[in-house]
Parts: sequence; structure tokens; C-alpha cells
Amino acid sequence: MARALAEFARSLVRASTWRLALRGLGRQPRRSAIVLVAVAIGLGSLLVAMALQYGLVAQMAETAIRTEIGDLQAHAAGWKDTAPLEARLLEAESLAALSRARELAGFAPRLRGEALAQSPLASVGVRVLGVDPEREGSVSTLSSFLHEGAWLDAPRRLAIGAGLARRLRVAVGDKVVLAVQDVRGDLTGEAFRVAGIYRAPSRELDEAVAILRLDDAQRLFAVAGEISELAFAARERGALEAPRAEVARALGPGVRVETWRELEPMLDTMIALFDQIGWVMYAAIFVAMAFGIANVLLMSVLERAREIGVLLAIGMPPARMVAIVVTESVVLVALGVAAGFAFGFAVIFALRDGIDLSAFGDGLRAFGVPTRLTPVARSGDVWAPLAVAVVTALLASLWPALRAVRTRPAEALRKA
Amino acid sequence: MILRLAWRNIGRNKRRTALTLAAVVFAVVLVVHMIALTTGVHERMIEDNVRMHAGHLQLTGAGYLEDRTLERFVRWTPELAAAVDATPGVAAAAPRVNGFALLSNGSASQGVALLGVDPVREGGVSTWPERVVRGAFLGTGEREILLGERLAEALRVDLGDQVLAYTVAYTLENAYELFTVRGLIHAPEPRLERSLALITLRDAQALFAYEGRVSEVALLARDSSRLDETSRSLAAAVSAQSREPLDVNPWPVVMPELAQLLVIDNAQNYSMLGILVVVVAFGILNTILMSVLERQRELGVMLALGLAPREIFRLVYAESLLLCGLGLALGLGLALALPAAVFMEGHPIPIRGDVREMSEMFGFTPVISWQLTAWNPALATLLMTAIALLAALYPAAKAASARPVDALRSL
Repeated sequence: MARALAEFARSLVRASTWRLALRGLGRQPRRSAIVLVAVAIGLGSLLVAMALQYGLVAQMAETAIRTEIGDLQAHAAGWKDTAPLEARLLEAESLAALSRARELAGFAPRLRGEALAQSPLASVGVRVLGVDPEREGSVSTLSSFLHEGAWLDAPRRLAIGAGLARRLRVAVGDKVVLAVQDVRGDLTGEAFRVAGIYRAPSRELDEAVAILRLDDAQRLFAVAGEISELAFAARERGALEAPRAEVARALGPGVRVETWRELEPMLDTMIALFDQIGWVMYAAIFVAMAFGIANVLLMSVLERAREIGVLLAIGMPPARMVAIVVTESVVLVALGVAAGFAFGFAVIFALRDGIDLSAFGDGLRAFGVPTRLTPVARSGDVWAPLAVAVVTALLASLWPALRAVRTRPAEALRKA
Repeated sequence: MILRLAWRNIGRNKRRTALTLAAVVFAVVLVVHMIALTTGVHERMIEDNVRMHAGHLQLTGAGYLEDRTLERFVRWTPELAAAVDATPGVAAAAPRVNGFALLSNGSASQGVALLGVDPVREGGVSTWPERVVRGAFLGTGEREILLGERLAEALRVDLGDQVLAYTVAYTLENAYELFTVRGLIHAPEPRLERSLALITLRDAQALFAYEGRVSEVALLARDSSRLDETSRSLAAAVSAQSREPLDVNPWPVVMPELAQLLVIDNAQNYSMLGILVVVVAFGILNTILMSVLERQRELGVMLALGLAPREIFRLVYAESLLLCGLGLALGLGLALALPAAVFMEGHPIPIRGDVREMSEMFGFTPVISWQLTAWNPALATLLMTAIALLAALYPAAKAASARPVDALRSL
């Protein structure tokens, strides 16, 4: 057994093994070509399909991060278990502590609260988001969704989504009263003028959020000089640990710093799920292809029964015969996989500007999906099919190889 | 005769036929089970969402879904209730007032969706009564409130404590009311649990100055596959009873995100099946083509003897169809007899880990369920027929165009 394995390994690196294998494939070029095309099309289109699906998820995550969440957020510890206004940080102190942070591309202080927004015609419960108009742009793209009017250009102005404007039946320039319970527990309210109306890529942001200037929000909730959230943009999305550590150090104990993964575990899980889905998909396609590959190899072995019989009769070790068939399979699959990668990545490259999804528009927008879908291939899209292809090539050649070795020289020669 | 010839040709190279059949069988089993799994998961997602809150159908004032304000309402009169209950296809109906309020306890305050529900009718449509983890569901008591567990924690209140609700009524006047916490509810999504409170319909109508009005009537259908029909009879039944125009919206309109999610998921699954079909088709193409090329001489003789090329074409097609038909029959038999299929039907598998967390966040029961419908074998049959027809095209054309002289000489 060990000898046979050694012989098998030695044969694999011999030039003559490869020559024989290639000759086997070239015997019926049309047949080999069909399998090759099947592997290429199957793998190529699956690559594109996976890249599109991942692109969708990645863009959803990207939109959520860029629109509002940011890469990192800092809150007073325990903020998740308390009412929104209960967990606060000191604005000036926090900003001063962060002024020397080097790992960050930007940071923005925010105040969050809840209010009843009232117009002369309707009343709607909203989430209030107080932002610093200058700093906010360094973290989020909120202001880029402005559709009408201006972006918080003066005090006592607010920006609302088109959905909320519809619900309140107000337009730019109209007054909206925000009734709130301030930090002391007093019910109070203040009138704001609608400065701008935006169209946000999420239903919640569009229909149930009012954005104010930070100082206006602080006055409204009676928390002068205090904020409830700091949002950060890191220099690099992939490397969040260094900036997180830096922020945690700068802000000191009592502050909790979390990445977008922790803030939005659902997005994180969806992305993680993709690796598992990828394996299943690639495996299923390759199993389907394995039958075709085995078929071609088997035919080729049966047709060459005479040749194989002669080779065995003049003393070729069976292990070498196995090596020849395995090499044949590997060459066939390798060519198919190479063509498949070429085809798949060519399509992905061709689609790099994205596919127009505006026909789906409104429904997708609620998920935070932009109207253009761009395929995104990952390293997993290369090594998962490669690993599956190697296993497929080996498994598919098993039966044909054994069949070849079992060729009885005498019979093979007599038949021909 | 063609069939007999085709049958013989398929049997000519048994190993090749077996391998090709194996590919077809694999594809059929995969198609049937993948679709059964998808259908099962989707049906459960729909049912979970429908039962969690929305109902199969919602009766609202015209245009309510556009702005969801108190301006749009349904007058919930005894006559309307009777008409809704008597509509064929309606299993249960639950009227609701959907409002918003700031709830507070001392300085802790939180904005919540304040739902007024009919304590008796609500359980017929949604699972809210079953989601009470401490205390009890709403009853005949006055000014009682149910809070999400996390909401109670944020407001620092427990059973028997009081919370103040502040809101703006239908009349656009400020409205206040003190409620006693009667129970705590568990909602699947943490954010939902923090921003949700239930009171009785009667209290909600008093708080919002909404006498006799409701925001929506959620309905559970007897047969979820016949929602269109039920919608129509409901619209007809209520139009006579209501002065204001009303809308009847099925769940895909009420929950467009869910409907869209299912569409995206289906698109993914069907593109996967499409790729699989192409791969299998190439396998069949290869088998048929090889068998045609091997028989050049035989086909040449047949043509020379006067068989029309059309007949040859048909013969090759018969082989392809026979091969796929055989694979289909074996595949369907295997797919339906697989212990998995038998077991899975009615035995949802619980899921664990990350996926479990995710499905709970989405509000789904964390199980994988399996649902076989007539559509699965039908789809498999359709796909295999398409494969057989497509794959045989080139070999059949090749065979039919063989020139007898060449074919005979080549040997």
C-alpha cells in the first residue's frame, strides 16, 4: 500500500503522466470541451450570483453605517437599559479628550430623545436626533439626502424625512411643535420651522425621525452641554480595534465604545451567514458537475481499454495508471475552473458600475438598499470553489481510475 | 418503434447512462428539497409575522397606510363588527387603535407605540396574549397597561406601578392619563420590546378622544392561500356599513419589507436552480452527443435506407426525453421517499447559535421547516423537460444532418 502510494506520488510529477493524461482528454476534444464549458458556466455564473448577493448585503451594511450608525459609537455605560435621556456624556469634556485622536477620520456628538411632533393637522411620535451640523458630515451622510430646502442652516430649524412631512402634512417653511418630556420630567415643547426635507434610505429615518441642531436639542430636553452619543468614522472599515481602544482610552471608564457589528448584530450575522451559504452553493454545483466529469473520464478509460491493457501488460505499475486518470480529471477541472473564474470575474468587472434596481426601488429602500446593485467578490469566492473543485476532481476520477486499473490486459487486447 | 430504438440506445452504454441518470436524480432531489425548504421557511416567516401582530388582512380608513395618523379611521360599530364577523373566510377580527405616547415615571421617559386592543378579540388574531411573561393580559380593568420587559426596565417600573402617558389626541389637544402596569410582555425584537405598550381599546378611545373609532381591524383568514377572495368579500360586506371609504390591505401591503425579503430570497434560490439546470443540461448533452457520434455508422445506414432526417431527429429527442424522464421518476421517488422528507414534514428542526439569534431578532420562530407542495414536483418536471429539450438540440441536429456516404466511409 505504502509502495503504491509512493509510486502514485512519483507518477504525478512525471512529464509522461501529464502527456498521457492530455492525450486522453484530446482524444475526444468535443466531449472534453462540453465538460469544460459546463464547469466554466456553472462556476462562473455562481460566482456572479454570489457576488451580487454579497454585494446586496454589503451595500445594506454600508448604507446603514454611512447613513447614521458610523463605524463606532460611544455611550455612557448602561445606555441600553435606560431611557434615552438617562445616559449622558459631557460634550465639551468628550470633544476635548478626542481632539488628539489619530486613528479617527471623524467624530460627531449627538443627542437622542423622543418627541410628539405636531402640525396643525396631525400628530406623530418621532425620534429626535440632535446633531452638530459641522461635525456630523465627517461621520454620516445624512445631509446628502437633502431633497428640498436647506440643512439646519439656522437655529430653531429642523430637517425631516419626506415620509414624516407627508404624515404631518407639512412643507418646507411650516411650523412643527415638538412636545417632549425633558430631563427633569417636565412636559414641555417648542416650535421649529421645517428647514429641509430629506429622502433617506431607511423607512424609519424617512417617516419617524426629526433632526435638529445639537444646541436646539439640548435646550429642548434641558441638558445643556450634554450629549447621549458620539459616533465615529474610522480611517479603515476593516481595522476598528485600534480606534476603539484609542476612543476608550480617551473617554475613560464609564463610557462604552461599540463597533457597528455590536450595534447592529443583525447586519453582522447576515454577513457571517454568507460564508456558510457560499460553501453549500459551491458544493451543490460541483456535485452536479462531478457526474459529468466522471462520465467523460470513464468513457475515455473505456475507449482506451486496449492502450491501457498494453501499458499494464508491459509492466506499468497500476498506481501510475491511477495517477494518469487522476491527472486527467485534475487537468479537466483546472481548465474549467480557470475558464469559470475568467468568465465570472469578467462579468463581475463588467458590472462594476452596478445594476439599476430602481424598478424595485421603494420596497428595497426600506432595507437601506440603494437603487444600484454592485457585485462584490470576496476571497471566499476564490478559495471555496477551489477547495470544492479539488475534492470534486479527485472524487470524480475515483471510479474511472479503478476501472482503468482493473482492465485485464489479455481481454483488452483480444477485444481490439 | 422510435421509443424502442431510443430505449435500446440508452441501454447500450449502461455505465454512461447510470452516471447521467445520477446527475439528473441529484438535480431533481435538490430542486424538490430546496423548494420545499424555502417554501417551509417562507410560510413560517409569513405566519409568524401575521400572528405576531399584523394579521392576514387589515381593514383601515382609506389611505391609512400612507400616513398612519389618527386622521384616518374606521368607525367600529356593532353593525360593522357583525358584517366583518359574518364575512366568509374571516376567522377572527381584532380592532385596534394605533397611537403614540410618551410614557414616563419620574424623570425617565420613553416614546412608545401605544396600542389599544380589544382584550377579548385580540387573541383570535395575534399572539400578544401569549407573550405576557409576567402578570396578566388586559381584561376588564380600567387604565391598565402592558409594557415590554425592556421598556419596564428603562422606566424602572414593575407590576402594580404607575406610568404617566402623555400624548396628543385626535382633537389635537394634549392628553394625559395614569396607567397601572398589569403585565410585562416579551417581543422578539429588542427595539420593539422597548417601544411598545398595550392598553385596552376602551381606554385608548378615551385617551385619544376617539369614541367609536379604531385605526385598523386586523383579520385572520381561514385560508391564507385565498386572501384575494376574502379581501373582496370583506370589501363588499363593509362598504354597506361604513360612511367613510375603507381599505382592505393584505399582509404584503401592510408589511412590504417582508414581502420584498421573500422576493429577494426567491430570486436567489431560483438563480441557483437555474445554474444547476445548466450544469446538468451539459451532462445530458455530452451523453447524447457521444451516443450519436458513436453511432455515426448506424445512423448513416438508417438514412441510406430511407429514414427521413426528421425521424432521426425524433429518435435522438426520444432518447433525451427518456433519459430525463427516467431520472425524473427516480429522482422524485427518491426525493419523496427520502427519510428526510418524511421526517421533515411536520418536524421543524430547531436552529441554534447566530442564526437563531438573527431569526429571533427578525421575529421568526427559530426553526427550519419543510413544506412540500404540488409545486415542487411540478417545477422539477418542468425543469427536467426543459433540460431534455435543450440538451438534445445540438446532437439531434448533428445526427439528422449526417451524410450517409461520409458516415459509412468513416468506418
